[in-house]
Amino acid sequence: MRLGHLHLDPTMTDFAAEPHPPRMLRRMTRARRFRRQLVPYLYLLPAVACFVIWIYEPLAQAFVLSFQQWNLLPTAPKTWVGLDNYRNIFDLPKFWQALGNTWYYLVGLLPLAVLLPLVIALFTQDLPPRSRNLYRALIFVPMIVPPVVAAAVWRWLLDPSHGILNLGLQGLGTKPIGFLSDPDLALWTITFITGWKLIGFATLILSAANAAIDESLVEAARLDGASKWEIIRDIRLPLLSPTLMLLILMVVLLGAQWSFSYIHVLTEGGPLGSTTNIYYLLWQFGFGSLSVGWSSASAVILFVGFGLLAAALFALKAKVTFHDD
Amino acid sequence: MKTTLLAVAVALSATAALAQSMPAEVTEPVTITFYNYNLASAGNGADATRKMIAEFEAAHPNIHVEGVPVQPQDIATRLQADIVAGQSVDLVQMPFAALGFAAENLGAVALEDIVPAEELAGHFEGMVPNGLELGRLNGKTYGLAYTFSTPVLFYNADLFRKAGLDPDQPPATWAELKEAALKIKASTDALPLATGIYGPTALDWLMQGVINSNGGAVINADRTEMTFASPEAIEAIAMLRDLAQEGITENLSITAQMEGMAAGNTAMYLQTSAIQGYLVKGATGNFELRAAAMPAFGDKPVKPSNSGSALSLHSTDPVKQRAAWELMKYLTSERGYTIITSEIGYLPLRPSIVNDPEYLGEWVKAHPLVQPNLAQLEKLAPYVPLPGPNYLQIGISMMDAMEMATFGNDDNVAGILTEAQERTQRLMP
Repeated sequence: MRLGHLHLDPTMTDFAAEPHPPRMLRRMTRARRFRRQLVPYLYLLPAVACFVIWIYEPLAQAFVLSFQQWNLLPTAPKTWVGLDNYRNIFDLPKFWQALGNTWYYLVGLLPLAVLLPLVIALFTQDLPPRSRNLYRALIFVPMIVPPVVAAAVWRWLLDPSHGILNLGLQGLGTKPIGFLSDPDLALWTITFITGWKLIGFATLILSAANAAIDESLVEAARLDGASKWEIIRDIRLPLLSPTLMLLILMVVLLGAQWSFSYIHVLTEGGPLGSTTNIYYLLWQFGFGSLSVGWSSASAVILFVGFGLLAAALFALKAKVTFHDD
Repeated sequence: MKTTLLAVAVALSATAALAQSMPAEVTEPVTITFYNYNLASAGNGADATRKMIAEFEAAHPNIHVEGVPVQPQDIATRLQADIVAGQSVDLVQMPFAALGFAAENLGAVALEDIVPAEELAGHFEGMVPNGLELGRLNGKTYGLAYTFSTPVLFYNADLFRKAGLDPDQPPATWAELKEAALKIKASTDALPLATGIYGPTALDWLMQGVINSNGGAVINADRTEMTFASPEAIEAIAMLRDLAQEGITENLSITAQMEGMAAGNTAMYLQTSAIQGYLVKGATGNFELRAAAMPAFGDKPVKPSNSGSALSLHSTDPVKQRAAWELMKYLTSERGYTIITSEIGYLPLRPSIVNDPEYLGEWVKAHPLVQPNLAQLEKLAPYVPLPGPNYLQIGISMMDAMEMATFGNDDNVAGILTEAQERTQRLMP
């Protein structure tokens, strides 16, 4: 316990120096020492309490609820059903479909939320400051549009019969495309909208990281005759790698969650379950059909799955990132 | 000291006595809430419901009604949340599928327990008996039958003419419907058929009507076994799949279906008669809207399912109970049903008003559109609610499988339904 060694009380040494402290005094010392040892924990208490109340306690409850059948009603009994909830969920084709879709969402989001912003950040770096700021501000705007508003606007744009995109396509002589009603397309449409919302945020982060790179390194490379591409490949990319890994981590762990509002407003998981993902399914179990047991069981599955994924990503992050110390 | 105690005891017993009986009238101003799903809809019913509330308030100056719009699929959830939060929930337009849940868990009051027997019998006089029966659980009325609708085949007579079809001879069977639809497809740009069978708001109510009409059922009579993979049900879904494969119908959201029909871009639309008001508004000055009965399977009898709601009373305060009961009486009166039928499109559960010139008489003559719906009132097969705590999961899983079998890439309708039936059977209580 390292915390116990914090010498917060300067009087402590005075007592220790006394050769034969009287009995009373020794007891006081013990009490004071205890108090001294307690203080750092008291400082930690608010933070720990927040974690326990808002994160660990609900998490523990979710574990318990995942073995129960309950309909959210305080007056209704919670019935212990053992592993039934898990069995029912694994039995459900929609669960596996949602799991697969979650994977597609992640794969689809990575180029939009990492690769494209990286390219934009690198290529706007050399623009004159004024146009660079304007350009980046324009890219950032989707980020501050509320998700539900963005979803509603996209629905109008993509509408098969009177959406502007389809009117344009019809003008070119093609048949209207059901961006949100064709099961083969709907998932990619929602992935695109989610990614479009994220581009601004990712560009901002990457631009900041890019601007923080020590210019003298770039200067030195230039003097040595390195080309623009060589500077990007050998200097900028390695130095951006911690930020890139952070972004990848965020997109992988949170990306499917970010698509929630678009799924809810635009497709409600359809057509034929093609746009549902594990988060949306979990929500539908819990609040669509008030089955807390099912919802908690899928939350536990999700927690374990993403926990493992996060551990793997952190290990990878430690391995592949490069720091300019 | 003794006197104070006594006074308190008397006061307490007085409140206890009050809590048991409802006053004969409301003498002081009172506000009640009315959770209503027609209020939550865009065109269909919100205006008419507001109009009824205003008329009622004018007649009962002491009672103020606060309408709370809620989507039908959210009603149980919303009530649950509001009751837990301590909000006052007085009167609810409760979908029949949720009525059992409301009585067991949400404190719906049986009318027999609070309304004097004579008054209750007097009000029930003239109402459709099958309708009233649907609101009874264990012999008590937990829901007063309110809005009923049946599936109706709306069609665009102009598009029929354009395709060389006779609008006076709408398709009566699914086979005739396919034939007509192919002609429409060949000669117009319109979508031949939209249906409200699938979608989050429909669950299985319209599907039950389709499968019942082919002699099947999604669940057996004593509600212990799922039967939606029976040969009759498979045949019905295979027929729908055939329509989808032919490009006659598409998997559209309910908004897209309604907009398409109202804009004149869809030739036929099988959907609840409750959207009649919305479609009439769209059709006026645009095209001629007509309606036919739900299509039959060959010469088997059509068994349209009813969708609908009952009014359930949740107040615990006797004065509010009286106020809510007065509103219930008004909404289900001759005058109430005149507005409900003519402005929304639900069935009049007091059939005598149909020919009464004081109420619907003139309107029905001017709007033959409502006739198929009225005719179906006699053939109604009540919607069978799915049982147990997992009823929604069962319904959703079943409808997911049927939707997949209709619109998906796999031709094996029987296989999909059989697998889903086995799976949902395991969720039965």
